[in-house]
Formats: sequence, structure tokens, C-alpha cells
Amino acid sequence: MSQIKTIHNLIGSLEKLLDLLLLSLIIFMTLKGGTSGACSACKYQRRRCATDCPLAPYFPAEQPKIFQNVHSLFGVRSIIKILENLDEAQKLEAMKSIIFQSYVRDRNPIHGCLGITQQLQYMIWLAEEELKMINSQLQIHRNNTNTGQYHHNAHNQMSHEIGEKLEDVTSQLNLGVGLMVNNNQNNTIPFFSPLPVFERQPQQPQMCYTYSSSEINNNGYSSPVYTDSCKDQTLTTNNNNVDASLAWGQNRFPYHHNNGFSNQNEHCNEMKSNNGVTAIQSQLVNHQMVSNQQDEVDDVEYDEIHQFLEIIDDKQSFPDTKLTYASSCSSGESLKERTDETGESELRSAATCLSLTSVN
Amino acid sequence: MSSSYSNYTNSPCAACKFLRRKCTSDCVFAPYFPPEEPLKFANVHRIFGASNVSKILHEVAPHQREDAVNSLAYEAEARLKDPVYGCVGAISVLQREVLRLQRELEETNVDLMRYASCLGGETSAYGGRRG
Repeated sequence: MSQIKTIHNLIGSLEKLLDLLLLSLIIFMTLKGGTSGACSACKYQRRRCATDCPLAPYFPAEQPKIFQNVHSLFGVRSIIKILENLDEAQKLEAMKSIIFQSYVRDRNPIHGCLGITQQLQYMIWLAEEELKMINSQLQIHRNNTNTGQYHHNAHNQMSHEIGEKLEDVTSQLNLGVGLMVNNNQNNTIPFFSPLPVFERQPQQPQMCYTYSSSEINNNGYSSPVYTDSCKDQTLTTNNNNVDASLAWGQNRFPYHHNNGFSNQNEHCNEMKSNNGVTAIQSQLVNHQMVSNQQDEVDDVEYDEIHQFLEIIDDKQSFPDTKLTYASSCSSGESLKERTDETGESELRSAATCLSLTSVN
Repeated sequence: MSSSYSNYTNSPCAACKFLRRKCTSDCVFAPYFPPEEPLKFANVHRIFGASNVSKILHEVAPHQREDAVNSLAYEAEARLKDPVYGCVGAISVLQREVLRLQRELEETNVDLMRYASCLGGETSAYGGRRG
């Protein structure tokens, strides 16, 4: 009898032990490998999220869309390959840029970040043209003041002329400067090549992006032709990408709090005096057409993009090849210098078919 | 038949050459990755992968595929040159430039308005003297 009792006790304790084990196993799985613990990358791939999961810090579980975008564009293997050669600090920055790039590609499957680049370049071009015009007006005023030419009759005449010019200047400040209003479809867009990625080392093989103005697609710019052949290389060694600008326009942009960038249908009459601008102006497409037809671009919410970019550190690290457009952000002065270096000749060349060439 | 026969005589596209597979007449990469530009596909494949590129191409309309490919090629190239920031670095620089130009425009406009207001004052003064 006592033996039977002992066996019963043993069985009871074994059962309790098994219950405890089961309970601890459940708790462990919930804490570690359960649905609340896995990063969105591992969730998406339906695998267990290890403690050293390389993607876990960048893809929280509550934001699955972020990883989906990245996975659609880059893929897991590619991201891991990119990250494995970087430092910890660089990894975070790299992931931010990858997430941003994927987000933009999701919003604009056709042009992605290149579309934003081109739009910004176009805005820069417009702003520079407007600045040139206003500075020329200012110079007239200063010259007149310095030479003391405010003679009575001359002054009246001059003030009349200046008044006329000021009216045009004021209208152009709404940034239609340089843009034709009509829907004349003979126009070609001043095509600006995308940012050259090979700038400081021209001897390196360079990719060629030829944007021909012969064909304009629905989005208001021609289909770019990508060639590897070496052609004349323009806009290559400029440290700033300001020279390479693209003919885009977009009404919805976070910087439209400045009226200078909002109204893009003004016809500029005063530009006649500026031959360079006139030459470019004659090639401009109707901006309204561009902005209306760019459905993909219109969908991009640039406020969100601006927020994304704010998280990118100012201090940028670069590999030895040192992209000049990236390194140029180190000082505003250097940017200013590069802007000053932008000559009319470069703008004119930007208005034609541009290509960066490559040698295999 | 003639089109498929021509594939045997023509060179396979850069994508199929790289992937070492037969380039069929309905190869989605063929129109955009000519055999003369092997580096273009190589870069795109290294960064994005052929399957992702294929998916993207199938998602967009045929007349927009060339633009999509070229933008992908640009982004791949930028990422290879700058693994940390890729093409986003350029966007950041451009945005700063836009902001700088906006500030400069505002200041210049203020100067211009100041001159205009000065002229307006002097005109009225002259007019008053004449009268």
C-alpha cells in the first residue's frame, strides 16, 4: 500500500513539473518569438526574430509598411549586404536613406527619388533666374544712385521705366519666371541631366544619362536614354548639382510658402532683355501641363518627404570616391561659390540634351 | 516565329547575359538593358535585384518603363557610389540650396522694394516742387 502511495505521489509531482515546464515554455515563446516580439522584417518573412536580428532596430513591428516598401525595392539580401560594410553610426543613416528611398519609390513607382531630384533642380534654376533678374534691377538702382543721375527730367523718365519694370518684377515674384503660359506643344523642356554621380574623378567609368528633348511623354519630359558611350561630358566636375537641373514643376511642394514658387503660369515679359533667359524660356514647356500631367509626382506628399529628410544628419559620411554633391553640403559658403560659378553657358547647355558619358 | 528566330541571331540583352539565361522574345528587360550597356543592369541587379526590377516593370505602364529603368539605374549607381546616403544625399543638398535661394530672394526683394519706395518718395517731392 505504501508503495502504491509513493507511486501516486511521484506521478503527481511529475504532472506538476510538466505543467510548470509547459507554462514556462509558453511564456518564453511569447516573450521572445511571439507575435509581439518579432520585428516587422521577421514577421513579413515569417521567421523567428533572433536577438541579434540585424534589421530589428530599423523595422519596428508596428510599422509593417516601412519594411514592405524596402523589401519591394531593395530586398533583404541587398540591405544586409549594404549594412555589413558600414559602421554602427553609418548603418542608421544608411537605413534612413534606404527607407526614404523606398517610401518615395512606393509613392512614385516610375521616377522615385530621381523625380524629386529633378524637381528640386528645376526649382533652383527658377530661383536663380529670378535672382538674376532682381539683381540686375537692383544694380540699375545702385548705379543711378552712385552716379547721381537723379536729374529732374531724367528722374521722372527713369522712375516711369522703373515703375514698369517693377510691375513685371512683382508679377514674376510669384515664380512664373521663365515659363510660358500657353499650351504650345512645340516646346521642349530645358532638360537637365540628373545629378552626376561621378564628379571628382572623371576618369572613372561614368554612366550616361541622355535626356533627349525629341519626345515628351505624358509627364512633360522626354524619356531618358541611358547609354554607356562616351560623349562630351558636361556638368561633371561641378561640386554642386545646381548646374544640373531638370525641367520639372510641381505645385505641391513644401516650400511654397514663398509665393515665388507658387504661381507658375505667369508670362514673363521683362525677360526679353536677358538673352540667356529668353533662350531658355523659349524651350520651356507649359508648367501647368507638366504639373497636371505628373500624376505620380502629384501624389507625392512632400511634407512627408521633408520630414524624412530632416532626420538625415547634416554630417554626411562619404566613401573615398566622395560624391561632390554630397560633400558640398559641408558649408553654405561653398554652395554659394558654386552657385556663383554657374554661368549662363552652363544653363544654356543644361537646356539642351545633356549626357554624362561612360567608358566600360 | 521570325521574332524568336531573330533572338538566336541577335545578342541577348544585358540582363539575360548577366543572368546567363535565354533571352526570349518577351523578355521584360530586353528593351531597356541593351547588350551594349552591361554595367547598367549589373548595377541595378546588385542593388535592387532582378526580380524586384521585374516586378516594378510589370507594375508600370509599358510607355513608362524606360523612365522607371533609368531612374532605377540612377539610384543604383548613386547607392554604389555612396552606400550610406545614395541619391538621398543629393536631395538633401538640393533642398538646402533651395532654402538658401529662397532666403536670398526674400532679402533681395526687400532691397528692391526699398529702392522702389525711395523712388516713389523722391518722385512726389519733385512733383511737389514743380507744382
